[in-house]
Order: sequence, then structure tokens, then C-alpha cells
Amino acid sequence: MIPQMILLSILIFIVAQMMPGDALTGIIDPNIDPAAIEAQREALGLNNPWHIQYIDWVNATLHGDLGQSFRFKMPVTELVGQRLVNTVWLGLVTLIFTYLIAVPLGITSGRYNDTWLDQGITTYTYIGFAIPLFIFGLVMLWVFGFKLSWFPTNGSVAPGTEPGTMAFVLSKIKHLLLPALSMALIATVSTVQYLRSEIIDTKQKDFIVTARAKGASEQRVYNRHILRNSLLPIAAFFGFELTGLIGGTVFIETIFNYPGMGLLFIDSITQRDYSVVTSVVLLFGIASILGALLSDIILSIVDPRIRIK
Amino acid sequence: MEMRNENIDIPKPIKSPSTIKIIWRELVRDKLALVSLIFLVLITAFVYGIALFLDKSEIVTVDLFAINEPPGGEFILGTDYGGRDIFGQLIIGTRNSLSVAILVTLMTGVIGVVYGLVSGYIGGTVDNIMMRILDFFLILPFLMIVIVFVAIVPKYTVFSFSLIMTAFLWMGIARMIRSKALQEKELDYAQASRTLGSSNLKVMFRQVLPNISSLIIVTMTLNLAANIGLESGLSFLGFGFPESTPSLGTLLGYARNPQTLEFRWWIWVPAAVLILVLMLSVNNVGQALKRATDARQRRG
Amino acid sequence: MGFLEIKDLKVHFPIRAGLFNRVVGHVKAVDGVSFTIEEGKTYGLVGESGSGKTTTGRAIIGLNDVTSGSITYEGKSALGKNKSILNTHKDVQMIFQDPYSSLNPKKRVLDIIAEPLRNYENLSKQEVRRRVEELLDKVGLSPESIFKYPHEFSGGQRQRIGVARAIALKPKLIIADEPVSALDVSVQAQVLNFMQDLQKELNLTYLFIGHDLGVIKHLCDNIAIMYKGRYVEQGTKADIFNNPQHIYTKRLIAAIPDIEPANRAKQLKYRQEVQAEYEHASDEYFDNEGLAYGLQPISDTHLVALPEKG
Repeated sequence: MIPQMILLSILIFIVAQMMPGDALTGIIDPNIDPAAIEAQREALGLNNPWHIQYIDWVNATLHGDLGQSFRFKMPVTELVGQRLVNTVWLGLVTLIFTYLIAVPLGITSGRYNDTWLDQGITTYTYIGFAIPLFIFGLVMLWVFGFKLSWFPTNGSVAPGTEPGTMAFVLSKIKHLLLPALSMALIATVSTVQYLRSEIIDTKQKDFIVTARAKGASEQRVYNRHILRNSLLPIAAFFGFELTGLIGGTVFIETIFNYPGMGLLFIDSITQRDYSVVTSVVLLFGIASILGALLSDIILSIVDPRIRIK
Repeated sequence: MEMRNENIDIPKPIKSPSTIKIIWRELVRDKLALVSLIFLVLITAFVYGIALFLDKSEIVTVDLFAINEPPGGEFILGTDYGGRDIFGQLIIGTRNSLSVAILVTLMTGVIGVVYGLVSGYIGGTVDNIMMRILDFFLILPFLMIVIVFVAIVPKYTVFSFSLIMTAFLWMGIARMIRSKALQEKELDYAQASRTLGSSNLKVMFRQVLPNISSLIIVTMTLNLAANIGLESGLSFLGFGFPESTPSLGTLLGYARNPQTLEFRWWIWVPAAVLILVLMLSVNNVGQALKRATDARQRRG
Repeated sequence: MGFLEIKDLKVHFPIRAGLFNRVVGHVKAVDGVSFTIEEGKTYGLVGESGSGKTTTGRAIIGLNDVTSGSITYEGKSALGKNKSILNTHKDVQMIFQDPYSSLNPKKRVLDIIAEPLRNYENLSKQEVRRRVEELLDKVGLSPESIFKYPHEFSGGQRQRIGVARAIALKPKLIIADEPVSALDVSVQAQVLNFMQDLQKELNLTYLFIGHDLGVIKHLCDNIAIMYKGRYVEQGTKADIFNNPQHIYTKRLIAAIPDIEPANRAKQLKYRQEVQAEYEHASDEYFDNEGLAYGLQPISDTHLVALPEKG
């Protein structure tokens, strides 16, 4: 994990160097004397060899200094802090929806496989697997946001609501629901498919046949034996699910104009606010690494065969 | 009791169907996949054929007298905010999207197969190092890294776009091929080949490779569907094709404007439907191929 | 003197475990085996599964890396820098146990048999084809089969293709790793007899690896018995079958079924004797790790693993 972090930081540093402009661009008034700018650059260490600049950059990042956003005229750390809250809420609600949809659908589909109910669920997962998230998001916004006007169509909260009030919280939730549901309906597909095939596999295994032969009720066979074996691997995918959300937020936040990290990323790169871009990529990269690590840890807890002694 | 040098059991002429024949048979049997395949062939022929006769510059030229026209009338499917013909853009967009998706699929396929085969076959420390590198690529937030590269690459072209996508998309197939190569190299036929004096390269590419070809075909077909989606997604965000080279995603990108999304459905709905149908069709074909190769393994 | 000499051959596999995949121990698959192979003879290597007999064969042909020891081929060391085998492939060939997995399912018979020819001999397409047809004829398959794929043949026929491939380069030694154990009993004898005929015709040397003493007795002049990576007894067919010395050998021989009902009582008595000896005297034959001792000569041809006298 540590080597991956170091590699990631080097990659992002190189990318940042390739981006036009540096920490001074945008801060300084273009009418200032070039010699003064040069002096400023020297003072900020921008003329140092790259490895020193890299270490300085890592150092600053570790201390929470991500530079300045020229578009918002504020420290990136502060900016990211504001946006991150929105994205975390979006991600959380999406995850809740994902599992709320996946578990009942997967269990129904696996338990009553080859019934019309299962066929319906399978058709849904088949289409959901093929449809790109951004098209689904657009359609959801069009139908439920514009045509039916059930949900707000942009932002994370209605303008003019006072933070801290009940109305504010309700407005936030209302703004969250449609984007989170759109993302969850697509993200859940692989989990449903996995759960279904896992249950179908498990219910033919010898220990299930044994449990039935001993006279365990169908309910007990499912709750005590099959689900325990099939649900645990799902837990292990939790980390990867987090990683998958990252790409999703970029699309969903853009479509719903939801002010989170994804939208910040797209806006910043369009407006060439590169210090923000670098920081967002770095944060999401670290989130991915942590997600994978989390999955490994859960997997080793859940699966006794690979548990580290 | 037993006879020496008796005639060995006479070879029974069981006609062995070749892999291609099995795949073909499976496709024909699976009606949905067959329809998908026919549709794909037709649409590919159509967009590549008709694009030869379409005046591309005329389609992408802004015509201020025909802005946002609804379907019907002079333009079959209407026009966009620049007065450009949606139908023409759909044709060229489909062609461009397909071209890039195919190119990326082929490039990731070649890189992934070679990387996976070498890693899995050689094994040991080499495999370990190669897998660490692969894991690193796998963990990168794909979408963001690609967008960053698209934004900073100077002299940005369709080809450099394909290269950027390829650079961050080869890992899936490489990992799959690697685990298969690990199994295959332990099988007797690969070992036998070594005792017969074949070099490692020969064993890898002449013996093992043909045996994983069906896996490669299936994976690449399914990747093609995913790549169509990825390309149009990136173009949708504005980090795919330049606007002068329309893609299906570019048309959808217009829908990021709420006005277009709400009131001018003809601009983005046809492209959305087309992407969906294309991806579903390629997927159907891929799933049928997967079943075909699985069945063969069961029989073998 | 033999043309292939193996001295103190050891093949150890590392056991990896733990967080960093460290080597935590070794499986001593082959642990100090020596023997000499002379031209034109047939050798048998017998042992239970896991005894290291297959690994010995695979080490000689270079499929498993040698941990230590030497393999001398015609007076020259055959081991390369990293203890893998060099330059003997042309003269040492192998017939694999499973004729279903040892032939590449995606290749035509022509390409399967031609592979060694293409690797070592510079022949034109027609010459290769003619040679393959000759080889097919030699193993009793029709020359029309060259464009067929392996799955169109029966097990016995497939093993004949394997033999044709192994003799393509006119090798001196063929290592046959349980060549018939995957075949139907009805074709086992067929394939074995045909291999014996080929031996006479081509002056081949065979190293048969197997677990079935009956088959080995039928074929081999010299027999070695292997147990847990070491030889326990080695000698001519007569030495082993008429005068077995080691308890392990005796048990193996006692276990060969005899279909003659008249001998049933005799056979049973012999088995009980051996069992009794095994129960109270096995310490004399195995050291405290349960492994065999070093080999001691008891005649010119007969070696037995016994503790050193004194």
C-alpha cells in the first residue's frame, strides 16, 4: 500500500508538472514586473530541481496545504473540504440504496431461480449491466426531474434555505435522492448478479442438502446456511464498491449539477484551475487505494481460508 | 491371451467441428445473439458506407438559420444549437465511436495478452513484479486520470485519445490471461513441448496462445461493449473527441444543458438509444460466445 | 559404463507461506538418488504416489530444476548454469502419462509430431510431411490422420501419437511416465507390446516409471524401488522378485494379485509373514525420520537400503 501511495504521488506530481502554469499563475496580477515574478518564483522554490520540488510538495500535502485555487481565490484544502461533505453524503446514500436493492433482489432471484420473478430481475440486471451510467442518469433526470418534477434538478440544496434548519436538511435529502438512486440502480447490478449465482451455487452444495435432510425448515436453511455463505463475500466487495463510486460521482454530479468533488474536478479542469485538479485526483487516488485495502482486510476477516495467522 | 501388433481400433471418423463452427452454431441457435449480430453488421456497414458519401464539413458547419429545429421537415432528425444536422452527426458519430472502441479494444487486447502471457508463463519474481505494476494501474481512478491526460496532452487527436484510453485499460485482460497462462503452462502439452526442444517463446505463443484464444475472443467482445460506453462517456463530459469530430457522446453532451435536456429531446435521445442498443448487441454476442466456449469445455 | 549417469540427484521444492511468501521449508521430492543407464536396456522405477519417481524422470529431462547432484550424459555434465538441463533433449525424450492432456488440442497431428523435427532439423515442408507419415506408419496409424485433431482419436491411438512424437528425433533414451495408466485395461497391453517392438527396432533405452509392479515386471530388466524420495532397493528383475531384501519391496511384491486359485493359501501365508515382519522390524529398515538408509551392495547387481553394519 505504501509503495502504491508513493507511486501515485509521483505520477500525480509528474502530471502536475506537465500542466501549464504553476502555483503563481492566477494569483499574480499580470501587470507586475517579470523580474519580480522571477524573484517570487525563486522564493517559492519553483526553480529548484524536480526532486526537491517533489519533496516540498509531498511535505506541504501531508501538512494539509494543497495550494491555492485561482478560480475561487481560496485555499484548495478549504474548497475541497466544502465539496467533500456533499460527495460523502452522496456516496453514503448511494451505498445504502445499492445494498437495499441488491440484497432482496439477489436473494429472491437466487432462491426462486427460473421463475418469472427471477426472469424479471435477470432482465433488469442484463440491461443495467449494459447501460452506461451517464445515459441512465440523464434519463432519470429528464423523466423524474423535468417531466414529472418530483425532484429538484440541480444543486445540493434549495437556494435561500438557512443552514441548520429542518427545511435545510429536508432540502438536502431531496436533492440527494435522485442522483443517489440513479447511481445505485446501476451500481447494484453486479452485486445482484453475484448474489444470485452465489445462492444458486450454494443451494446445491452437500452441506445444504444435509441441512435439509436433517429436517431444517426452508426458512432456517436459507437464513442460517445459505445466506451466511453468500452474503459474506458481498461484504468483501464493499471496498471495491467505494472505488467504483468515484467514477460514478463524476458523471452523476455533472448531470445533476450537484456541487461535490466530481463536479469540482470537471469544472476545474475545464477552467484550467490545475491545483484543484491535482488535489482532487490525489484524494480520489488515495481513496481508491484505501478502498482496495479495505476489501482485502474484510476479505481476510470473512474468508477463513485466507486469514492471516 | 492378447494379440501382438493387432490392428488398433479403426479410427472412427468423428467430424470435429472447429472452434469457429461451434461459435457460429451457438450464435445461430441463440436468436437474440443472432439478431444482435445481424444488427451490428448492418449498422457497421451502414455507417461506414454512408459516411463515405456524407459531406462531413457540411454536417459540422454551423448554420445559424436552422438552429434547434425539431425533427421532420428539411432535417429528418432536426438540428442542434449550431444548426447542424443531427442525423448526419449520428452517422458520423457512430462511425467514430465504433472506430475508437475497436481500436482501443485491439490495442488493449494485444498489450494485455502479451503482458499476461509473459507474466503467467515465466512466473516467479518476474510475475511478481509485473503483477505489482498491474495492481498499481488497476487502482488508479481511471476516469479522472484519463480526463487529466486528455486535458494536458498537446496536439490532441483521435489517435492520442485512443492511446490514453489504452494506457489505462489493458489490465483487466492482462490479469485474466495471466491466470489462465498459469494453469495452461502446467498442463502436459506445454511441458511436452518443452521436452521437444521448443523455446519458451514458442511454447507461449504457439502452444499456449491457441488454447486460450476463445477466452481472448470472448473477453475482447465484452470489452468492446464497455469501450463504446467509456468513449461516449468521456465525450459526454467533453473529454473525448473534439467537437469538430462528433461522437455519440458529443450529442449526449449537449444534454448537459438543461434547456436541451428538457425541451429538445431529438438532439440527445437518438444518440442515447443508439449507444444503448449498440452496447446491448455487442454484449449479447459476447455472452453467446461465452456460452459457446463454456459448452465446448464441458464437452471436452 | 552407461551413457547417462545420475549421481546423488536431489530435487527440493520450497514451501512458501506467510506474509512475504518466505520459504519456510522444503519438500524433498527426490533426496539423493544415483543410478546409471546403459544403452538398449529397460529400466523400471517403481514407487507409490509421492515417492518422487515422476520428479526423478522430469528432472532428467529438465522439466524440474535440479537442486544438487550431477547428471552426466556421455561423459559430459548435462546440467547448465542454473541447474537446469541443457542439450539432451534430442537424445532423451518423454512419453507422458495422460494422452488426453499431453497433446495440444488445438494442433493437428502433423504439427504435433513435426514439432521436434521443426525445432532440430532443417527440413522442407514435404520432407517434414514425409517423415511424419513414416512415423505414423511406424506406430500403426494411418497416414491420413495427419490432418486430424487429437480429440478424434481414442486414448490408445493418442498415446501412439505421443510415442511417434517421442521417437521423431531418434532418441537414445525414452522416459515413459506411467504410459498406460490412463488407458483402458484392454489397450494397455497393446501399447506396451508395441513399445517393446519399437525398442528392438530402434535400439531404444526405456526408463519406465510406474506404480504397478506387475507391468514393470513384464517389461524391465532392471528395477529400482523408490520410497519418500530415496531408493530402497535396486537390482535385476531376478534380484528384486526372487530375492527381495527390503521390507518395503517385500510388501509391494506381496501385494501383487495372483489369479491362480491354487496359490491362494500360499499367497495369504506369504502376506502374513511380510506383515508380521513389517510390524516388529520396520525400525531396522527406516531411520528415525521414516526414511530409507543409504544403499549397500549385497551382490554385483543388487543394492539394498540397509543401516551400515557395525
